[in-house]
Amino acid sequence: MTSLILSPSEQDFITRGVEKGFRADGRGSLDRREVTLRTNMISQANGSARCRIGHLGLGTDVLVGIKAEVNTWTPGEPESLGSIVCNVECSPSAAQEFEGRGAEDLNVELTQTLDRMFNGPQSGIDMAKLCIIPKQAYWVLHVDALVLDVKGGIVDALVWATRAALLSTKLPRVVVESIADEDGNLQSEFDVVDDAEDQVAIEGVENLPLSVTFNQIGKRFVIDASEQEEAVTQASLTVAVSPQLEICAVQKGGFLRGFPPSLLSEIMQTARRVARDEFAKFKELYETAA
Amino acid sequence: MDIDTEAPAPSLVTQIVTPGSAITSDSAYMRGHGTFGEHGTIYSSVAGVVERINKLVSVRSLKQRYGGEIGDIVVGRITEVASKRWRVDVNSRQDGMLLLSSINLPGGIQRRKSDSDELQMRSFFAEGDLVFAEVQSYFADGALSLHTRSIQYGKLRNGTFVSVFPQLVSRSRTHFHTLPCGVDVVLGVNGYIWVSKHVPVAQVEANAEHIYSDENESISDDERESIARVANCIGLLNRLYVKITDTSIIFAFEASLPYPVKDLLSIDVATELAHNVTSRLKLQA
Repeated sequence: MTSLILSPSEQDFITRGVEKGFRADGRGSLDRREVTLRTNMISQANGSARCRIGHLGLGTDVLVGIKAEVNTWTPGEPESLGSIVCNVECSPSAAQEFEGRGAEDLNVELTQTLDRMFNGPQSGIDMAKLCIIPKQAYWVLHVDALVLDVKGGIVDALVWATRAALLSTKLPRVVVESIADEDGNLQSEFDVVDDAEDQVAIEGVENLPLSVTFNQIGKRFVIDASEQEEAVTQASLTVAVSPQLEICAVQKGGFLRGFPPSLLSEIMQTARRVARDEFAKFKELYETAA
Repeated sequence: MDIDTEAPAPSLVTQIVTPGSAITSDSAYMRGHGTFGEHGTIYSSVAGVVERINKLVSVRSLKQRYGGEIGDIVVGRITEVASKRWRVDVNSRQDGMLLLSSINLPGGIQRRKSDSDELQMRSFFAEGDLVFAEVQSYFADGALSLHTRSIQYGKLRNGTFVSVFPQLVSRSRTHFHTLPCGVDVVLGVNGYIWVSKHVPVAQVEANAEHIYSDENESISDDERESIARVANCIGLLNRLYVKITDTSIIFAFEASLPYPVKDLLSIDVATELAHNVTSRLKLQA
């Protein structure tokens, strides 16, 4: 994603290292860099999280805020479901290429990736529970992500931060009453309880997926590529895996070539194995994140 | 904050200032770099240390872009191939220039550069290549003019690139070091560093026809691990703002041996190792 150009000998050094399973910074092919997670730092948002993945306290840095709004139903929309709207913006200060309108295409691509993973029942969220009154009102969750710094592997940082933000989200409790109107018909009305202590979590957030991005370099692949490794990548695949170790979403990154099918099935199996460890790591980090 | 005019020598008065701090109102002083004057008072315009030489007051900033002096040894990345020259990124305000007439031809043969050389400039250096060069002079607009007219300079191979703050690399007698672990390190004064497998000088001289080759030598697993370890040590020295010299790299390397290479880049281990290195350097001084 960055415009880093490496010399042929640097590219060869990185490629051979990957093929031997020993990367330029000493990591193995399936080692992720250090992850830092913080939640609930935006007091005006219903939920928020910041995730940094990288070396020495720096790295790819993503901030996600969740805002919940009540929308009025209009004909044509699903009658008894809530909705999730994702938006990703890369800050112009994150990289030189993002200056001015340089990040526009990347913003659209990342928004679509996040949408594919989180907007809908495949994310594990119970969309029906987000409906307040069918054909009348429903919750819409705005997932707003801001990429503050880029050092390789944006998608994984985005997904980690989004998962943490949604897990930490507290919605106000809604009371639904049936009231008889002048004609004696029963109308449903809702009231949002304005009490900071009386809030509920979103149903189903514990089922949200985590993603693992695989970059093919030479004949092998690595996860969590650094900027230099991304410059040598031939093709990349992001796999979103649920806590039940099912594959929720797959996105191929727009690099130079395709994958041979044998590598593809190997990546899918590896994704499930890696995801198991990632969920354990996420749990540990999330519990100390607030 | 007035300068004590009775002070014995300027070097004993170390005053740290921030942008906007007043330095002196005494009209006898002349303003140097890093200062500005307003209503008769000299203020600092950068964050740094006040330097006073006789009547000249200036402020040397703690962090600034690499400027470039004649004779500096730098590592640069080719960004563009232009007419009879290459543009080189040297981490400065402007790209440096490497003229076609300033490079050596393969085989060490001395001849005038011909038109065919000009047409195949990419066979020497192409975009993205890393060069090890010396600053020869300045152009009229202040851009650095580089040369690689020595067998030790030229295209860099067999290793990996690390970028650090330029202030951490001081100018010294030699910038090409061979560490005891069998790794060569090129410390560019501009903050660009190359860590590579050790290749004996005799072998380089024997391969004079292949100085522009892009092929790496074969690198064994142990050599690869040492290169990664040294690169990570330099990375952590940079992050914790420790001066980068062959001594400090060797100290960091020795202190890092108990840890696997990938753990060196966790902030806790890095902090501990950096403290280790700074105390050893203090003891040595």
